[in-house]
Amino acid sequence: MNPVEFFGVAIDALRTNRLRSALTMLGVIIGVAAVILLVSLGQGTKNYVEEQFAGLGANILIVTPGKIETRGGPPVIGATRHKLTLDDARILEKKGYLFGGVAPVVFGTAEVRSGSRSRNVSTLGVTPEFSPVRNIHVEVGNFVTDSDVDAKRRVCILGRTVKRELFGNANALGQVVKISGARFRVMGIMERKGVSLGFDIDDIVFIPVRTAMDIFDTDALFEILISVRNKNDIDSGKELARSLLFKNHNRHEDFTITNQAAMLSSLFTILDTLTYVLGGIAAISLLVGGIGIMNIMLVTVKERTNEIGIRKAVGARNRDILLQFLLESTTLSAAGGVCGALAGTLGAGAIRLLVPKIPVEVPPWAVVLAFTFSVFVGIFFGVYPARKAAALHPIEALRYE
Amino acid sequence: MGSAAASEPLLLLRGVGKVYEGEQPIVGLEAVDLDIFPGDFLAVMGPSGSGKSTLMNILGCLDVPTSGTYEIKGVPVTTLSPEALAAMRNREIGFIFQVFHLLPRYTALRNVELPLLYAGVGREERARRALEALRSVGIEDRKNHLSNQLSGGQKQKVAIARALVNRPSLLLADEPTGNLDSKSGEELMAILAQLNAGGATIVLVTHDLAIARNARRIVHIIDGRLVTPEEYRERRG
Repeated sequence: MNPVEFFGVAIDALRTNRLRSALTMLGVIIGVAAVILLVSLGQGTKNYVEEQFAGLGANILIVTPGKIETRGGPPVIGATRHKLTLDDARILEKKGYLFGGVAPVVFGTAEVRSGSRSRNVSTLGVTPEFSPVRNIHVEVGNFVTDSDVDAKRRVCILGRTVKRELFGNANALGQVVKISGARFRVMGIMERKGVSLGFDIDDIVFIPVRTAMDIFDTDALFEILISVRNKNDIDSGKELARSLLFKNHNRHEDFTITNQAAMLSSLFTILDTLTYVLGGIAAISLLVGGIGIMNIMLVTVKERTNEIGIRKAVGARNRDILLQFLLESTTLSAAGGVCGALAGTLGAGAIRLLVPKIPVEVPPWAVVLAFTFSVFVGIFFGVYPARKAAALHPIEALRYE
Repeated sequence: MGSAAASEPLLLLRGVGKVYEGEQPIVGLEAVDLDIFPGDFLAVMGPSGSGKSTLMNILGCLDVPTSGTYEIKGVPVTTLSPEALAAMRNREIGFIFQVFHLLPRYTALRNVELPLLYAGVGREERARRALEALRSVGIEDRKNHLSNQLSGGQKQKVAIARALVNRPSLLLADEPTGNLDSKSGEELMAILAQLNAGGATIVLVTHDLAIARNARRIVHIIDGRLVTPEEYRERRG
C-alpha cells in the first residue's frame, strides 16, 4: 500500500472528528505562530539597532581621554593625566597611513538664540573631516572648512531640528544666530538623520573646532574619531593609533581607543541570543502542542482498537498500522504548522500595521524552521501511540468493544 | 460425509495445541489433527468454551499454536513472523464474523476494498473487484451506503464480499448467523452453500446443529479436543 493511500486514510480519520482535530491542531498553531512572532520581534529589534548604527560606519575608531583601568588600586603616582589635543589629532593625521580621516571633536552645550527664540543645544566643534568620517553631510550650504578652523571663524551649521525650532520654515542660510552670546553666521543646514538610540542627531549645532575651544574655554578634545580606510585593517589601525598617541603622550597610555565594530558585533551577538531565547521559549509551547497530539492519538488508538483488529484480520501488517497512525499525527501537526505559519506571519504584519513602533521582521528561516519543527513534533509524539496501535494483538483488538 | 477428493490437503493440522500462559495455564486446544481439502465445507461444532474459537483463530492465522504443526498449502504457519502471518491472512483467508466487524464510517464498497488495499492493489482495480464481489452476493445496490446504515443481513453479505474479494483459499465463518434473524440466516447459509458449490473451501464454526447441517462434514470439539459424534452426544447429554 502506497503512502498516498495512507494519507487519504489519515485525512478521513481526522475528518470524522473535526472538532477534536481542530482543537489538537490549535496547540500546534499557537506554538508555531508564537515561534514566528517572537523570532520576528527579536529579528526586528536587531535590524532596528543595526539601522540605527548604520550611519556610524563599521570602520570607526573612537579615541577618548583617560584610561579605563582594568586593575584596581590607586593611580600610579607621577602618571600625568594628559588631555587629548589638536596636536594628537595632527600626529594621527600625519602618520596614520591606514586612516582615511581623523576628526577631532570638542563637545559642549550652548544656548543658541535667533531673535526671540532660543534653545539649549549640543554643540560640536569639528573639522571638515568630521563629515566624511561620521558619514553625515550638509543638505544646503557648506560644512566647516579648513580655513574656518584656522581663522577661528564664527560660522555654524545647524541640524534639522535646531533649524526648525529657530527659523521654522523661513530661510536660515546666511542668517545670524547667537551661540553662548557670540554672533555666528549660519553656513549650512545638515541633512535629516533622525533619532539614533534616543539621541536626536538633528538637534546639534556644528562649529569649527578652534572656535569651539574659544567658546567653551578649553584646549581639550572630547574625542577623536578615526576612520580606517580598509575594514580589515581595523585592528592594526587601532594598534597604530595607540603607538602614535603613546609616543605623543610621553609614554603614558592615558587614553582609550574603542572599536565601534567590535562593540556593535558583541551587541548583535546579544540580540541574536535574545532572538534564539525568544524562539526557544515559544518552541516550548510547540512542544506542549505535541503532547496534546500524543494525548489525542492515544485516545484515538484506544477508541479504534476494533478497527485496528479488523484491519489486521484482513491483512494489515504491523507497519501498515504504524504508518497509518503516524501519518495521522503528522498530518495533524503539519496542518497546524501551515496554519500557524500563516497566523504568525499575518500576526507580524498586523503588528507592523497597528503598532509601527514595535519592530517586527519575519525572517523566512523562522517560518521554515517553525513549520519543520512542528512536523517533527507530530512524528515524535506520534510514534508512541502508533507503536502501541501496531503492537495490538489482532484477536484482542477484534474482541475489544 | 465425503470430502472433496484431492490428493493434497489445503490445511493440515498435526497435534496442534494451544496453551494460554498465565498463573494457571489454560489449555485451549489439545492435539488436534485435521485435514481440510480444497472444496471442503466443514462445520466445527462445539459448545461455548470448547476451544472452537481458538481453533478458528489458529486456522485464520490470527494466532499461532503453542505445539504441533499447521500448514497452509504446505507452508508451515507455525514458524511465520507476524508480518508473514498478516500476508497469509490477506491472501489465503477470508473472515466472516458473528458481529460482522465492518468499519462503521466506511461505505460498503470501501469495506470490501480493505483487503485489496493491504494487498497493494491500485485504486481502480480495487473498486472494480470490490464491486464484483458485492455483486456476487447480490448487494451491489448498497455499495455507497455506510456500513452502519445497513441491516444485519446486509452487513453480513458485505462481510462475505470482503472475505471473497481477494480470492482466498479458505473462508472462515465464525457463527455467521449468530446475530441474524432466521430468514437472513437461511439466506446467508444459502450463499455459503452456493459459494461452496462454486469451489470455495469453507470452515464454519457454530454451536448450532441446524446451521452445522448445511456443511458437508462436521467435526465436534469439546474441551479443546476433537471427539467422535457419539462422544459428543454423550457428553452434551
